Amino acid sequence: MTIRTRLALWYAVIFSASLLAIGAVVYSELIVEQRAKATKHHEENVVDSDAGEDLTQIILLYGGSAIVVGLLGGWWLTSRALAPVTKLTHAVEKIQESNLAQKIPRTGNGDELDRLTEVFNAMTGRLDGSFNRIREFTLHASHELKTPLTVLCGETETALRDEKLSQPERERLLSQLDEVQRLTKIVDGLTLLTKADAGQVALNLEAVKLDELVRDNFADTQILAEPQQIKVELATCDTISIRGDRHRLRQLLLNLADNAVKYNQPGGKVTMSLRGAEDFAEFKIENSGAGISPEKLPRVFDRFFRGDSAHENTIDGCGLGLSIAQWIVSAHGGKIQIESAPEKLTIVIVRLPLAK
Amino acid sequence: MRVLVVEDEKKTASFVRKALQAEGFAADVCHNGDDALAAAKATPFDVIVLDIMLPGRDGLGVLKQLRERKNSTPVLLLSARGEVNERVEGLNAGADDYLPKPFELSELVARVRALTRRNGENKSTILRVADLTLDTVAHYAQRGGKKIELTSREYRLLEFLMRSAGRLCGRMMILEKVWDYNFDPGTNLVDVYVRRLREKIDADFEIKLLHTVRGSGYVLKEQP
Repeated sequence: MTIRTRLALWYAVIFSASLLAIGAVVYSELIVEQRAKATKHHEENVVDSDAGEDLTQIILLYGGSAIVVGLLGGWWLTSRALAPVTKLTHAVEKIQESNLAQKIPRTGNGDELDRLTEVFNAMTGRLDGSFNRIREFTLHASHELKTPLTVLCGETETALRDEKLSQPERERLLSQLDEVQRLTKIVDGLTLLTKADAGQVALNLEAVKLDELVRDNFADTQILAEPQQIKVELATCDTISIRGDRHRLRQLLLNLADNAVKYNQPGGKVTMSLRGAEDFAEFKIENSGAGISPEKLPRVFDRFFRGDSAHENTIDGCGLGLSIAQWIVSAHGGKIQIESAPEKLTIVIVRLPLAK
Repeated sequence: MRVLVVEDEKKTASFVRKALQAEGFAADVCHNGDDALAAAKATPFDVIVLDIMLPGRDGLGVLKQLRERKNSTPVLLLSARGEVNERVEGLNAGADDYLPKPFELSELVARVRALTRRNGENKSTILRVADLTLDTVAHYAQRGGKKIELTSREYRLLEFLMRSAGRLCGRMMILEKVWDYNFDPGTNLVDVYVRRLREKIDADFEIKLLHTVRGSGYVLKEQP
């Protein structure tokens, strides 16, 4: 039972009870008066019993309507009193990591709820501050890492230019260079995502022919899949144009295709399709392979999460691919979802809103 | 060929200079914007490598000042921020190329070399490396008189490698010129394409033309 219903009922009970009490007092006064009259005029007894019946009817009529009025009035009053709470609830429901800085408007009349709103705003404000500090920290950290990485990469390359190096020395330096390049990719990905979190990455919106991008990506995927004899198919490719960032969308498609090939099996299959619906474009990519277990599936978009720990060391990549894909999709106002089960097809579905 | 390197981080400046010198360039180094402007006024450089984040006057400021003075020396911008907008901003301000940090040294050297050739770029319609020829009008490639079938992407890759014949092409540069990607896609796309192209142009021939420089990129040339 909601607070509003409970308060309305209580209100009606108290309202009716007080009315009944008043009624009872009035009734007893009338009876007393009637008896006093009765002692004076015996002949008027008949009329008196009539008056008693009238009184019961009046009490029933007025008492009944009083209860109804009490209920309705109680409902209205509590609704009025609780409206700010409902408003507050809706406002709080809308709060997410991305809009913590947004304050809930105060009523300004200094009541308990106004005070609650104030306290709540102060709390989200503190949370926002903490989030910002973490974001800034990550951004600074990835930024600060760039200079030493540049130096490390440059020094290693300079060392490799020395022709007197023995083969083992050269191998060691090359392996070191590979790791520096991997680290560079991680730092780049991290910088991008942190900036995206802080809303600092702007999309370059233009009309983009999605089908052309998908066909291009299909051609690239065939080449990427060839060494493992994976068959790539383009099932459907509707002609669709959307407003989007061409580079980011290409990055998204390539990212998903690259995953579909990496987490596949030799001789496996990748199927992609692009379909237009009423108000969105749907890109779907399926791949064979080991699949993803149910407990890992919800976490695949998490940063640095690896789908299959057994493959962890054989598959290269920075562990940020799907997080970046998810960011690109949501920045375009779309949705991305993934379906999979062990030894089943893994299906990634991207829905992007069409230009209005 | 004389290159001016404007970079406040001393170690970076030092190995960039060494690498350029090793490639046969004369390289001067400045550590701040004002010195760079003075140096550019005193000496005609063939290329200026300009870091955006400098103490005092920043790289973009230096670039704008240079262009205002009608100095049209090709400029390669370096930046640790690596934002798409910054790249556009830099190119609009008159830069000729942009390289985000951390960069690979070979990539930087390749870009500097490309900038020095920009004016005298090989504009002929028939490109030739040893017995491999590419007709850029008829889109026809052949080696030793035998026609080579290429997909459009492979064709663009081969054309780019042939136009830069003898020079090292970094992966980033290939992605930019052949795929028009201005981000690192984190895949081995370039390597796989190069492998395929190599099968088509080198597999049946004794002399290999397409060479891998591990950790750096690829080069198309007659001698290994």
